[in-house]
Amino acid sequence: MWVTALFGLTAALYAIAAGLYVLFLARGTEGGATWAARVLGGAVASHGAFLVSNWAVLGTVPTADIHQALAVLSLVLVLVFLLTARSQDRLHVLGAFITPVTLLLFLGAAFRRGVGPVPEGVKSALLPVHVGVNVLGLAAFALAAAAALAYLLQERQLRQKRLGGLMQRLPALDVLDTLGLRSVLVGFPLLTVGVVTGTIWAVQLHHGGFGLSAAQGFGLLSWLLFAGVLLLRVAAGWRGRKAAIGTVLGFLSTMVVLVGYMLRGTEGLG
Amino acid sequence: MSSNDLLVVGMSHRTSPVALRERLAVEGKALEASVREIHDSALLPEVLLLSTCNRVEVYVGGEDRERTASAVAQWLEGRAGERVSDYLYVHHGEEAVRHAFRVAASLDSMVVGEPQILGQVKEAYFASKSTGSLGTLLDRCFSTAFAVAKKVRSETTIAEGSVSVSSIAGDLAKKIFGNLDGRRVLLVGAGEMGEAAGKHLRKAGASLFVVNRSPEKAEALARELDGQARGLEALSTELAQADVAIASTSSPRFVITPELMKPVIKARRHRPLFLIDIAVPRDVDPRVGEMDNVFLYDVDDLEQVAQENLDARRREADAAERIVTLEVAAFERWRRSGVLKPTIVALRQKVRGTLAAELERTLPRLSGVTERERRSLDKMIDAMTNKLLHRTISELKAHADTPEGEALLRHARLLYELEEGSEPSAPNPVVRKNLSPAKGES
Repeated sequence: MWVTALFGLTAALYAIAAGLYVLFLARGTEGGATWAARVLGGAVASHGAFLVSNWAVLGTVPTADIHQALAVLSLVLVLVFLLTARSQDRLHVLGAFITPVTLLLFLGAAFRRGVGPVPEGVKSALLPVHVGVNVLGLAAFALAAAAALAYLLQERQLRQKRLGGLMQRLPALDVLDTLGLRSVLVGFPLLTVGVVTGTIWAVQLHHGGFGLSAAQGFGLLSWLLFAGVLLLRVAAGWRGRKAAIGTVLGFLSTMVVLVGYMLRGTEGLG
Repeated sequence: MSSNDLLVVGMSHRTSPVALRERLAVEGKALEASVREIHDSALLPEVLLLSTCNRVEVYVGGEDRERTASAVAQWLEGRAGERVSDYLYVHHGEEAVRHAFRVAASLDSMVVGEPQILGQVKEAYFASKSTGSLGTLLDRCFSTAFAVAKKVRSETTIAEGSVSVSSIAGDLAKKIFGNLDGRRVLLVGAGEMGEAAGKHLRKAGASLFVVNRSPEKAEALARELDGQARGLEALSTELAQADVAIASTSSPRFVITPELMKPVIKARRHRPLFLIDIAVPRDVDPRVGEMDNVFLYDVDDLEQVAQENLDARRREADAAERIVTLEVAAFERWRRSGVLKPTIVALRQKVRGTLAAELERTLPRLSGVTERERRSLDKMIDAMTNKLLHRTISELKAHADTPEGEALLRHARLLYELEEGSEPSAPNPVVRKNLSPAKGES
């Protein structure tokens, strides 16, 4: 019972933190970022307690099903964000983009339609690897996407010569661009392993058959998008707006894969 | 009679033309000499001379009003070589204190909240101190003014938001590049505004390059700003490498056109370029601002920001004025108590002395007074002194610094037979120990 209570508490704290971060970004409320960070800290503690009790009481492991994986992913995302924000004060405003995504992912963990646990027959040694790298890779991409969104917003402010508080609160373009690049650099190899293990797993499932499902299609599409962004960044010196747009699209497409899987489960793979 | 009076005679950007202030301005070492001159010329006890490009003010403490004001005006007139009385303002007492606080807190500045004034006031303070013409009154007045300035700065946003074109350009560059360390700044043309902005960015760590039609001017400016000069033919190669470019040529036509920029943009490989056009007429074709990764700001854009920030500062000035008002009131309580203090001390001495003398006369006639009883009697004398003088002292304090107060003071001295020797006189007798104005005697 109190696992449910912890879930509710965590979700509520994430919602409050998200509200505070967005308010801080939009209005620059006095001490807003500090309070948002405190509430977020509370959410992380409650989230951790939720995972531990889930594991101890119900005996579920993170790789048991997509819900558990999402519950872990959302926590990893927040931790990655908090670590990043420690390095540079102004990066705190990225919470306005990160926390709503976290909340959605966390709520997704409770979304019980469509998929149940991974059936026994489908389990494979690859599963923990597949889930693990995807969780880390998605967290990196979510951070990249948050930096990219902030970049696009800041660039718009600078172009339209709106030099108000919003521009003051957002980090410098170069800082956001660099963060976006680094996050994609970290996330891309992880996503690559994720796509490869996912494909091998699907192939195993069909005893050698190789049908491209919608989930795989989008998985491949996001991999291609990020590969493109990286290639253009590294080889052609791409940066700024176009790289940011590519990053956001890549992240959206990984989210489509996730939602597709949520709705159709492993059937989506078959 | 109040030797605790304070007065300021001066002129500022509000009251006088710059040509006159220029002639009166005193800088650096000359400041001390001038303070000494004013001090000696009229035998004024306390003198502080504040001279900036926006104001020339002489603060005098501890003297009679009319004589002081005319002595200072005479000195200024002698220096200016013309009549200055039309441009002068004179503030006495509380108003002089308020003026000093407002000036130090940058509330009277042309650019409200600008930070230089506090440094200039401090310079004036130390110059005055080193010549020995700073007495308790002015010393205390300006030490408090520094504290007020600090308080205003930390408790209001009056000094926030850049208000000069060059610092706004610097702010924007930081919003694009984060850190300016090692960034390349290109000055196109050797205009004055460009120079100011370049200096600002150089200070933030950027390296500087100058391109100009006249190579001599480019060399001169590059030397001054610790940068490197390039010929005009290097414009597009320099633009391809720069992070920030500041155009301030006197060319009647656009110098930086889309045609020039196309290959530049290509060579830059998507690196952002911050273009600042502070030339009038403009140097950069506005179409360049629509190109990818180019952020173009012209002088109107920057000045609009400056105006907005200045308006915000003015709105914040109300909060600052409230702080000043509170601090002036506290200082005034201290100053008034300073006038009374010698009289109050003398009163106590007189009454207590009389009582103690009577006691000494009586004691031999009493037998067997123990040491403890003796101490009780001393305490009784203290209590009697306080009770007897309570009404007198509280009335004196209540009317301090008013005409009635001065009459009361005279009468009190007469009635209690206080000798003229203990008359309050300069230098100001209030001891420095009593520092906090908030706790002034009242």
